[in-house]
Amino acid sequence: MADALTRSMRASHVLVAILVVASLIFAAIGVVNGDTFYLRLGTEALIFAGLALSVDVLLGYTGLLSLGQALYFGLGAYISALVLMVTPSFWAAMGATFVATIAIGAIGGFIANRVRGVYFALITFGMAQVAAKVVYNARTLGASDGLIGVPIIKVDFGFAAISTASPAGFFLFTLAFIVILYALAAYLLDTPFGRLLIALKANERRVPFLGYDTVTPRLLAYVIAAVIAALSGALYPMLRGFVSPELLFFSTSGNAVITVVTGGVGTLVGALYGGILLTLMKSVIGSYTEHHLIVIGLLFMGAVIFLPRGLMGIVRPAIARILERRTKS
Amino acid sequence: MTTPVLEVRGLSVNFGGLRAVDNVSFAVARNRVTTVIGPNGAGKSTLFNLISGAVRAAAGHVLIDGTDCTGQTPNRLQAAGLARSFQITNLFFELSVAENLRLAAQILEPVRMALRPVASSRTTQARVDELLERFDLAGKRAMPVAKLSHGEQRRLEVAVALAGKPKILLLDEPTQGMSHGDTADTAHLIKSLASDVTVLLIEHDIGLVMSLSDTVIVMHQGQKLAEGTPEAVRGNPDVQSAYFGHA
Repeated sequence: MADALTRSMRASHVLVAILVVASLIFAAIGVVNGDTFYLRLGTEALIFAGLALSVDVLLGYTGLLSLGQALYFGLGAYISALVLMVTPSFWAAMGATFVATIAIGAIGGFIANRVRGVYFALITFGMAQVAAKVVYNARTLGASDGLIGVPIIKVDFGFAAISTASPAGFFLFTLAFIVILYALAAYLLDTPFGRLLIALKANERRVPFLGYDTVTPRLLAYVIAAVIAALSGALYPMLRGFVSPELLFFSTSGNAVITVVTGGVGTLVGALYGGILLTLMKSVIGSYTEHHLIVIGLLFMGAVIFLPRGLMGIVRPAIARILERRTKS
Repeated sequence: MTTPVLEVRGLSVNFGGLRAVDNVSFAVARNRVTTVIGPNGAGKSTLFNLISGAVRAAAGHVLIDGTDCTGQTPNRLQAAGLARSFQITNLFFELSVAENLRLAAQILEPVRMALRPVASSRTTQARVDELLERFDLAGKRAMPVAKLSHGEQRRLEVAVALAGKPKILLLDEPTQGMSHGDTADTAHLIKSLASDVTVLLIEHDIGLVMSLSDTVIVMHQGQKLAEGTPEAVRGNPDVQSAYFGHA
């Protein structure tokens, strides 16, 4: 019999399925209208949703507030850009990002996990700021200009290939990619290992008395989140053809946290909806006023006050109840 | 002579200038109920914190089945067979009763199960169902712990400690704040536990101590004042003066 946590996760799956259907309709409309702008924007929204997903693994499930998740997002973007400029292979870029992030994430996790709470948040913030400043001042990485001229590539599956220049093709590819990241995270969190992370969030001090080590699971959660952020970031230069130090800045990390809180902490799917919502809002409001951050800030404050559990925090329990009723009957 | 399942030798700790636990030694027989009693501030909970690895001892040794486990972390001690409950309910409050038990019971699974879906772990599920039944919590399985009554939370506290099938169970005032009826039920439950687990108990309800314990250890100002059967301890003049002051 499934318990409440498993049921909530199934409710998240339903919401992701709805999102996928909506995205397919969106892509179809885009293709029919010969649209480029909105498909590109949608792709970017999904990429930032991947970053938000990594924040939710930490914040929503392990109870760790990272204010420096942009470190890994930017790391992935830069590694991907560098690899693609040498050899235009999707798999090489992803492989390099994956390996490098595990190594760097393990070091970052070792440092950050020595402390808890506010101090953890500050250390993650500090590490990301250091990385951002280094990149900003490194001439070999293009300094403040970033790296431009990342070539268009074909994502080669052997039987088919998708060009990153195809707005609909790359949108659908990114959708599949982010959904797979979601599925992996959701699977992990519904295992005994994932339950242990949830226990760390709920009451870390009791966990050792149940016989579990707390250091290793926390470090693993950190590295998993780093990998999710980096793999999402690695898609960015494929979409935009460039990377810039802004990807590592606090605004990127902070936006990811806002995304998760607005979408619903500890739901995973909230990160996806939140990411899309925030990116669209920034673009739509940004087309009217350059002070769009004020509007977003106000909306965020409103969400925290009136929807403390976020959008999905309201929708998901309703769906969980429907699922429960259906299994009972 | 058989090795005692739990042995404590010369355990001491200081908090500032206070010697909270002072050179305490005793041995606990297998599958018996041993109760630690003493006035408030006698060092009973601190003694439990030392044995369970929550606080590091300044001196002394803790032996489980004859193996020295001094200074080990709580999770290592759990692996060695020692589990504990807390005086102040210490659970995963936003999670349901069943999920609390599941977390505690999944330690029984081999490590390779750590990355399989929780719904597939039969051993854990069976253990959870067994504990829900035994602790009369089956009707509340889906309820968040925060919404349980105080008595139910105290019961779950014991059930969670027991879930990992320890050899030795340290129960820190399991009946704290319970109604009279609940206390009697809990006493019955603890008695039934002692058939397959060694219980070390802190308890204030003297009636319960006398009926439940095989051995009673009396603590006073950090030291062990007396140890013996309930009757022997009750008749001990030192114990009487510690509890009631000098006549």
